[in-house]
Amino acid sequence: MGVLPDEIKPALQGVMPSHMATCSLAGEPNVTTVSQVYYVDSDHVALSFQFFSKTIKNIRENPYALAWLIHPGTLDTWDLEIVYDHSETSGPVFDAMDMQIEAIASMTGMKGIFKLKAADIYRVISASKTVGERLPLAEIDTAASAAQEK
Amino acid sequence: MSHPVSPEQEGQESAAALQRQIAENQRVIDQLNRALARKNEEVRIIQQISTEITSTLELEQIMETLLNAMEKVLGFQHVMILLKDHATEKLQVSACRGYAASAVGAEVAIGQGVIGVVAERKKMMRVGNIGVSVRYLMAVRENLQGAGQAGLAQAPAQLPGLPDAQSQLAMPLLVKDRLVGVLAVESPTPNAFDELDEMLLSIVASQAATAIENARMYRMVEQLSRLKRFFSPQLAEMIVAGGAEDPLRTHRREIIVVFLDLRGFTTFAELAEPEEVMGVLRDYHAEMGKLILEHEGTLERFTGDGMMIFFNDPVPIPNPAERALRMALSMRACVQGLSTRWRRRGHDLSLGIGIAQGYATIGAIGFEGRWDYGAIGTVTNLAARLCGEAKGDQILVSSRVASELEELIEAEEVGPLTLKGFYKPIFAAAVLSLKPNAAASD
Amino acid sequence: MIPDSIVEAIHGAAVISVGTRDEQLRATHTLVVGAVVHPDREAITCFVPEQRFARIQNNLTSNGRVTLAVSLLTHEAYQLKGAYLGSRPTDAKDLAIQELHRAKLLSTMLQRGYPEAIVRPFILGFIYQPGMALSFRVEEMFLQTPGPEAGKKLN
Repeated sequence: MGVLPDEIKPALQGVMPSHMATCSLAGEPNVTTVSQVYYVDSDHVALSFQFFSKTIKNIRENPYALAWLIHPGTLDTWDLEIVYDHSETSGPVFDAMDMQIEAIASMTGMKGIFKLKAADIYRVISASKTVGERLPLAEIDTAASAAQEK
Repeated sequence: MSHPVSPEQEGQESAAALQRQIAENQRVIDQLNRALARKNEEVRIIQQISTEITSTLELEQIMETLLNAMEKVLGFQHVMILLKDHATEKLQVSACRGYAASAVGAEVAIGQGVIGVVAERKKMMRVGNIGVSVRYLMAVRENLQGAGQAGLAQAPAQLPGLPDAQSQLAMPLLVKDRLVGVLAVESPTPNAFDELDEMLLSIVASQAATAIENARMYRMVEQLSRLKRFFSPQLAEMIVAGGAEDPLRTHRREIIVVFLDLRGFTTFAELAEPEEVMGVLRDYHAEMGKLILEHEGTLERFTGDGMMIFFNDPVPIPNPAERALRMALSMRACVQGLSTRWRRRGHDLSLGIGIAQGYATIGAIGFEGRWDYGAIGTVTNLAARLCGEAKGDQILVSSRVASELEELIEAEEVGPLTLKGFYKPIFAAAVLSLKPNAAASD
Repeated sequence: MIPDSIVEAIHGAAVISVGTRDEQLRATHTLVVGAVVHPDREAITCFVPEQRFARIQNNLTSNGRVTLAVSLLTHEAYQLKGAYLGSRPTDAKDLAIQELHRAKLLSTMLQRGYPEAIVRPFILGFIYQPGMALSFRVEEMFLQTPGPEAGKKLN
């Protein structure tokens, strides 16, 4: 039994965007939106490396990051403490991500332009639902809010 | 700040907590039972599907059974079976459920969209965020175009399926690592498919692939034996493999028709011993057959000493008139050689040839149990009549063919000829020889 | 000086989050519900729920490095980096800004065709009070819209 519980899996399908917080070696934090954090196994997740970005630069010098995920079913938010382990440019994880990116790229006329450079594999240190950020789904009064608008 | 709590209150709270815990436990147990029941049921269903689809060699029936099971039993609302067309190297929707009937026949290029990429990589794919991903990439695309890199982008792929699909699960249909097609399910709901769906579909897909491939092979063998009656084995195989259209399907095409027969054959057949006649015919057919194959002609029929040969069907070829002419010249030279031998045995035989060009309706002619491949059109009559008019060693070509081959041949005009079945007198040309430059290139 | 485009983004229908880090250089993420650019356009105050603020308070007081990621629904995105100035509990005026932010985000998402069954509980479910107002001085600004110019420094 790994760090990632089964219930988090839907949050790793890219239905809702995730956020990724990193920090440079010089101590400058950075937050970006990532379209999908991929499930690898119960102890690992993967992120796609497409463009060279501040996140990639930070991770290569300081491997600790925090991924913030939204569960599309419960709408709970999760904090994942992760640490960059290695990059893969072949193998099943890379292939699965690459196929998905290629499929979507062809659907948007971006085949060959929007490409996966590598699958960055992270080890998950901890996974926890955020505390004090979200109301439980049952306590959200959407009906009242909708009525109020009308 | 802490609130004072009475022991009574505390007791009530812990009782309530216990109640909640019991309810929660029961919920988990129920959930597990449901999952287990679903799993057992699904194993049974898959065995049933497997039995049904492997019990027939009818492709349509296999796909129908498969779609029924996918929809009614496994609960997939939108299912597509795409088969790979070996001729176009594309996938084609062969059967589907949950789409307009017009979806059948729609094509997917290998490498396009989820289904196309699954076909390209021969690996399954499960995506639950198509809408979000497409929106994101369209934004990137816009920014690229804004930065003047628009030239790089292509038009988005036009794909069959739900216009608002959010989830797709696609499985390659593989037989020994060879792609037969793709089985795909879709949903307008994000994250609609999970690992269990993935597992179910992969089992169904592997059985479906084998059943479909067997049915296709069976159909192919049937078609092949039918075609081999009319065409060379190579051509028959090419047609079955999808490299050429089925020539037995009625179609219209411009062809060159060559008719030939032996002058003096009727008299010879009357006077000579049948064994002698058969011997002469064997030599003659063997030599002519060789030249027909060599020039890629299609032998439509032979009756005794007469033969009818097409050019440009069933497979279109470049310069059909020239090939027909070169074949005719070779035949003339060949029969001249043969007739020297025949003359020594006292038989006076020589070859007459007629060539015409025009449109004909070509396809299977006949009736169940006795189909023939044939051409119908004025062009066949004209070639036959010209052959009838030709003297020994003469090649008569229609004026149409003569003008087509103007650059190649030395010819003299013949006519006007009054031909049976032709209202107006007809001019033709007798081919004397190839022009020197044309002969050199032969 | 924060340019108009970024001011508009921060005051518009943007998803905003704040990043900090601890002494071991481990970053945190905190979702922001509402933010305002100061009139001098040199600083920003953003509002975060109290419990989430407690997590990052040490980071803010020990090293004070702050980053704000601002992402519009068009995928236009910015990142503003700077130094922590201070914090206080939110007041009624802040609350009004937060309500406006929630309403804008919700209506824009619905307009853009995001499914209401998800969007409404998603936006409404973010706890925002009791809240803390966190201010920081902006030192650097970057474009973060995905594409060839992502990462470009804007000042």
